[in-house]
Amino acid sequence: MGVATTEFVEAWQAQSAALGYEPPMIFVPHPIQDRTDAEIQALADAAVDEIVSRLTA
Amino acid sequence: MRNTPVLVDPTGEVEPARREPLARPPSLDGRTVALLDISKARGDVFLDRLHMRLDERGIEVKRYMKPTFARIAPIAVKQQIASEAALVVEGLAD
Amino acid sequence: MTKQLTLVVKRDCPTCTLLEPVYAALAASGIALDVWTQDDPAFPESVSGALDEGLERSFRLGVEIVPTLIRREDGEEVERTWGWDRAEWERLTGLEGLGADLPPFRPGCGAKNVEPGMPEALAARFGSARLKSRRVPLAPLEDEIEAAYERGWSDGLPVVPPTEARVLAMLDGTTRDPGEVLGLAPPNLQPCTVEKVAVNAVMAGCKPEYLPLVLAVVEAALDDAFCMHGVLATTYYIGPIVIVNGPVRRAIGMNAKGNVLGQGNRANATVGRALQLVVRNVGGGKPQGVDRAALGNPGKYTFCFPEDEEGSAWPPLSESRGAGKGASAVTLFAGYGVMGVVDQDSRTPEALVETFADVFRGLENRNRRNIDAVVVVSPEHDRVFRDGGWSREDFEVALRTALHEPGHSTPKLREGGLLIVRAGGGAGMFSAILPGWAATGPVGSIPVTKEVGT
Repeated sequence: MGVATTEFVEAWQAQSAALGYEPPMIFVPHPIQDRTDAEIQALADAAVDEIVSRLTA
Repeated sequence: MRNTPVLVDPTGEVEPARREPLARPPSLDGRTVALLDISKARGDVFLDRLHMRLDERGIEVKRYMKPTFARIAPIAVKQQIASEAALVVEGLAD
Repeated sequence: MTKQLTLVVKRDCPTCTLLEPVYAALAASGIALDVWTQDDPAFPESVSGALDEGLERSFRLGVEIVPTLIRREDGEEVERTWGWDRAEWERLTGLEGLGADLPPFRPGCGAKNVEPGMPEALAARFGSARLKSRRVPLAPLEDEIEAAYERGWSDGLPVVPPTEARVLAMLDGTTRDPGEVLGLAPPNLQPCTVEKVAVNAVMAGCKPEYLPLVLAVVEAALDDAFCMHGVLATTYYIGPIVIVNGPVRRAIGMNAKGNVLGQGNRANATVGRALQLVVRNVGGGKPQGVDRAALGNPGKYTFCFPEDEEGSAWPPLSESRGAGKGASAVTLFAGYGVMGVVDQDSRTPEALVETFADVFRGLENRNRRNIDAVVVVSPEHDRVFRDGGWSREDFEVALRTALHEPGHSTPKLREGGLLIVRAGGGAGMFSAILPGWAATGPVGSIPVTKEVGT
């Protein structure tokens, strides 16, 4: 599965259509690059339950 | 762009025709999760934290890295992940 | 009755352009006339015609030569003529004095819809409604062969992508209706139609003219006696082995001679593979799924060969199993192989059969009983039996006698479970045994012979 920010929803849809395959994805709030470590860590903390659940049946 | 080819389904048509992701395991017990860093700036901060949280849950984690986000992963990296891990989380764009 | 005429022409044909005065006479006659031009909408000049867009009309009319003139009564075609033959055109139209200034006869030209590559393309475009199977549109970046792998359609080797054009061309190889159900394909018991067999035959690499044989093979596999579900699901080595008899062998160029059980002949290779792909795709039977084989065998990619009837003194295997004399037929056997029978010394049938018995005694293990087997007799062993005047029955009786052990009530070879064929060549005093399944006869698989249709 992949993790990307919300800016990439359309890119994921286009790539999935081109390849005929939809890998599981979760999207965290954009942006990343100008955030503080604490902000990014908070995003990861908020995503971890969803990531684990998408890795399992 | 060339015409999109259409094939005739050779199967008994009991399953969907599109490519499906592989079946997910019922739990992560005993399975290794790969974290693939695509080399985008500050993605490592996110993956470090995710790594820590998975460790806390007793989930085995291995780390991998693509040399550049601009290209698909080298075959050697893909083969190493396939050999060593059952599942992979890839990030982080952007 | 209302008479109507349909005319198909093209500018790029000297005969068509020569006939302008005739077209004018037809238009002036008062008979309903529709004119289709294959290339130039401004042609003919003496009557108004319509351009046959995409050649659909020509395709549906089955035009091969231009000009083609068709007479209908109340909308139904009654007769047609092509090229220019004044007497024919006059008879067909009921008009006299057509093209009086023209030569009485001129051959026509090839129609645009039958130019190389066009029939297949037009069939795919306008004939694909015949196909009932689901269509699988690929994504723009997908390669067709990789797509077949990704969807699980392949046995591990590349398959020919089953496009509509290829499937339609394959179906032209049989007179049977694409929707006809041959049976239920195990293990999922999905209806196996002629069309589904054609799709898988395309993927296997078959030519359309192989299709009647493939259909007979699939019918034999789906015969309850053959027990295809069990043959698939067993932990044993086996898979279906296809033995072909009759004129179809030579008609489609099968190899019954040197390396007969090996690689290199398209018909041998692809007919056997088509059956495996039908089981995999239509039936859903896959290794480590319902297919529980511990080891399997390489013949599960394909295992199909013809008997060398011309080189044999014995009647064809199929006839010995009840197929008509001179008929094309397939025999399916659930087995694996190849076990060698090496004898470079024996010059009498009695001595040679003892070598066969010796191999059979230890086959699989010394205590195995009631087994089925195919015996493939090579030319140089066949010569010994032929010179000794032995029939196929003589060989079998002698083999069973040699294998009889007083301490055992059950014979090594199941009664009715021995199939003897003659194949291979030229030099080499090496025959082969293809052993069968552990479950033989009514509790397992019984060999099935089916005649090949059209």
